[in-house]
Amino acid sequence: MIRLNRLSMHYTLGAARIDILREVELHIGAGERIAIAGPSGSGKSSLLLLLAGLERPGAGSVEFDGVALDRQSSDQLADLRRDHMGIVFQSFHLVPSLSALDNAALPLEIAGRRDARARAQTLLEKIGLGQRLDHYPAQLSGGEQQRVAIARALVHRPKLVLADEPTGNLDDRTGAAVGELLLQLNAESNTTLVLVTHDMNFANRCDRVLRLHEGRLTEVTAPREHDHAHAV
Amino acid sequence: MPMLFRLAWRDLRGSTRTLWVLCACLALGVTLIAASGGLYRQVSAGLLADTRTLFGGDLEVRSRSPLPDDVLAWMHSRGQVSRLIELRTMLMTESGEAHLVELQSFDEHYPLYGSVELAPPAPLADALAPQAGTWGAALDRTLAERLGLAVGDSIELGSARLEVRALIMRQPDRSLRADWSGPPVLIAAGALAETALLQPGSRPAHRYRVRTDAAPDDWRTAFATAFPGTDWEIRTFIERNARLGEVLGQIGSGVLLIGISALFIGGLGVFNSVHAYLQGKLGTLATLRAIGLRDRQLAAMYLIQILILAAASSLVGIVLGGLLALVGGGLVGERLPLAAASVRLLAEPLALAGLFGVSTAVTFALPALGQALTVSPAALFRGIDVDATRTPRRAWAMTAGAAVPALGLMLVIMPDAWFGAGFALALALTLALLEGMVRALRHIARRLSEHPLLAERFALRLALSGLHRPGSPLRPTLLSLGTALTLLVASTLVVHALVRTVEDTVPARAPALVFYDVTAADKDAFAELMAQSATLGQLDLAPLVLGRLIAVNGETLRDSDDSRRSLEARDEHKLSYLQNNFDQVVIERGAWWPADYAGPPRVAMEDREADQLGLKVGDRLRFEILGSTLDAELVGIYAQKRFQSRLWLEAIFTDGALDPFITRYVGMAYLDPAEAAAAQNRIAAAQPNVVSVRTELLLNEARGILGRAASGLSAIGAVTLLASLLVLISVIAANRMRHVYLATLLHTLGTRLGVIRLGLHLEYFLLAVLTTAFATIVGSALAGILLHHRLQLDTPFAWWPGALVALVVSVASLGLGAQHLLRRLRLSPAALLRGTD
Repeated sequence: MIRLNRLSMHYTLGAARIDILREVELHIGAGERIAIAGPSGSGKSSLLLLLAGLERPGAGSVEFDGVALDRQSSDQLADLRRDHMGIVFQSFHLVPSLSALDNAALPLEIAGRRDARARAQTLLEKIGLGQRLDHYPAQLSGGEQQRVAIARALVHRPKLVLADEPTGNLDDRTGAAVGELLLQLNAESNTTLVLVTHDMNFANRCDRVLRLHEGRLTEVTAPREHDHAHAV
Repeated sequence: MPMLFRLAWRDLRGSTRTLWVLCACLALGVTLIAASGGLYRQVSAGLLADTRTLFGGDLEVRSRSPLPDDVLAWMHSRGQVSRLIELRTMLMTESGEAHLVELQSFDEHYPLYGSVELAPPAPLADALAPQAGTWGAALDRTLAERLGLAVGDSIELGSARLEVRALIMRQPDRSLRADWSGPPVLIAAGALAETALLQPGSRPAHRYRVRTDAAPDDWRTAFATAFPGTDWEIRTFIERNARLGEVLGQIGSGVLLIGISALFIGGLGVFNSVHAYLQGKLGTLATLRAIGLRDRQLAAMYLIQILILAAASSLVGIVLGGLLALVGGGLVGERLPLAAASVRLLAEPLALAGLFGVSTAVTFALPALGQALTVSPAALFRGIDVDATRTPRRAWAMTAGAAVPALGLMLVIMPDAWFGAGFALALALTLALLEGMVRALRHIARRLSEHPLLAERFALRLALSGLHRPGSPLRPTLLSLGTALTLLVASTLVVHALVRTVEDTVPARAPALVFYDVTAADKDAFAELMAQSATLGQLDLAPLVLGRLIAVNGETLRDSDDSRRSLEARDEHKLSYLQNNFDQVVIERGAWWPADYAGPPRVAMEDREADQLGLKVGDRLRFEILGSTLDAELVGIYAQKRFQSRLWLEAIFTDGALDPFITRYVGMAYLDPAEAAAAQNRIAAAQPNVVSVRTELLLNEARGILGRAASGLSAIGAVTLLASLLVLISVIAANRMRHVYLATLLHTLGTRLGVIRLGLHLEYFLLAVLTTAFATIVGSALAGILLHHRLQLDTPFAWWPGALVALVVSVASLGLGAQHLLRRLRLSPAALLRGTD
């Protein structure tokens, strides 16, 4: 489903060149759950940006369902994210002026779906936020905000969910609950998940754990359930 | 405290860039208030400080004929008396050009106060005295410029030829209306006799000025007791002072209101600017709190920063405003006697303007400051959105406390405190109305944005949600741009209505020449002279008889218990015939008589006079004319059209009723305006007692005044618009981070950039439409009130020019705003993933 071909990326800082990714090769199958770990500044977020089509690689390519992202226009990439991707951020990033329901419905609203609010409501009720539909982000706890963000990432039934440290801003107990919810919903919808996390307990619940270090991606654990998944 | 000053100063030094809107808004408002306040002070000090001089004495007794000797003897025994005879007449130049002037003849005591300055310098009596058998005349400077006359030139007044001996550089009692009603020409009493203009039927004003040590009111009481039952008009300089002060106060207040409005609009810029500034300072606030700075100290530190900037901006405004007041004083000083500008004179209005600026800044900055200070450092570190913060009640209470001195200062600054109180009340009502409107619009926008019909129009939904979300620019835009555009719409509509009235109505119906004082004996000769004009289409000559209404239905008005009626009986009215309805009046109650009516006298009266006396159609009226009485039935009440009417006739009689009393006529000639000057000169040469006015000149004068009014109103519009644009910039600045964040998030979630741009454009277009609608409705209402009640123009006015101007300006300014925002809308999805928002 996702294929990274000799993917490289670098920044230049004055005269210095900082390599973020060096000829990374990766194949992720549909429905697979991948965790990416690595120290701060190792390029995990950059990799997610490249997977979401929000940044262009320096060299190599990202293919999503056979489509090379670097050959797509900005609008085509936006449509791709709208229809096939969901993103969960560490800092939740809910729209402060929208209620929980409106935040969860946002991807469907962008797509112009008439049943956006109804579908979002169903999902929020399913994850235990039925009493919080009209509450604004500022009126929700951190855990509740992240659950709304997960609902937003999954409400339009995307093929791929990108999650960037989804439990990073939560305490251990809440983080565990939120992580559980993410994995549970992912399993139910058979969505491909790419998870960036420091939490190795959380990471180990994924099919594969990859480590990003000095621009290179290496596999930490062997594939568990998906025999079609490939190592780097 | 010095520590806080140091800290505030150091923190401010690196941050002033974001606060330039605050400085610009304050400087603009204070400049306008300081300039108009300083100018008003110079004018009022000049006109009100020594009204005796401007008035020409302590009292004035005014009469249509010379006062009897016994009255004069009584007056001379109680003060110094100077007689002035005033007469409107035509001045002829050697080239045959005629011009309407106010001829003034003085005795040797003139002026009782002040002195006349002539160029070349000479005593007035010497300049006017005969030399080689020719009397001298001193001409108003503007008249000499207009006619190209210089000292030594010869002029004709009536049947006398005089020599221009001097130009009047300063006349202490020059009428404030001299430029409009006729510039003054000074001649000696002997020269007036030689002009032969004082004929039976002519209407000179005999003005006896009195200089006395007695209190003017006591003097008047003694005079009225000594000579009861006379019709002479007695006025004191104190009355003149009060009336002048009232008029000046209203004009000054009106001008100052522009500055105060601009400062109020700018206050919104102050709020937004401080809000945006403190949003960017939340990290600093948190750090300072974390290291132990108390809340009160933190508040004081940022208040010190605001005070520093407010004081500096106000100082700039004071300097600019002071300079403008001096320049304006120089321009106004050519027309009006102004007090010399001095530090002492200008210090108070300038200082008040500065204080008002600072207190306005504090009032508008406190809510933003209060809101920022409620953000706890812990919340900041957790990344909770600043939208969760609200201005606490305590901050609102402090804002209200700061508004009280600001309001007090406004009332002190305004020359007319009632005007200021009215403005404050109107402002409060407008704000309440606006708040209601904003809430209703936000509600509608919310409902619409959630409507299923708009499900597939995400850009439109984005735009609608932009109107109801927290921090929406709807309220500040309506308040600032809406207020400015309201003024612009009202100004546009008033000017448009006036120009249309002058351009469309008057020229189509206006005579080219209007004549006064055609004597009965000269009437036929006058008609023959006019007939020489090849393009003469119509000549209407109607008698002008002066008389008083003395009884209504048998009740003698003079004995009436109703003071208005008894006073009315003393007024002299202008009476005439209908004569093709040449003064273009409109009957409103009753009806005109048939054209061939030949019965007992009937009369129609002007509505204001009739209403003052409570007259009704069918009343029996008795007039006193030249010592005789004339009875007539009131059959109609008519209204004058302000621009069409020229003679302001108070009563119109059936033909023949006034015949025994006719000594002179007034007339109107309809001919090619190009021929009017020649006809005027011909009449002036043959019948010098006839006063004539060229309508075209009056129209040009009216157009000139309207042009200046339009320029002035445009300037008002431009200034308020500038203030509102500054506010708009501050609104955009305050919301930029929010826009960037939202746009980035939406793009990351899959919204096309084009949709985001379209949504932003739609949001600003909706704002422009709402602002236009608001400004058109409120501006049209204002213009309607002004036109109908103040200017009493009954013609319906078109609202569309105002709406068009408002739409163009709002779309242009908000379009620029949207473009400006889009240029600065740099999306950064990486920031979302890297955990910084």
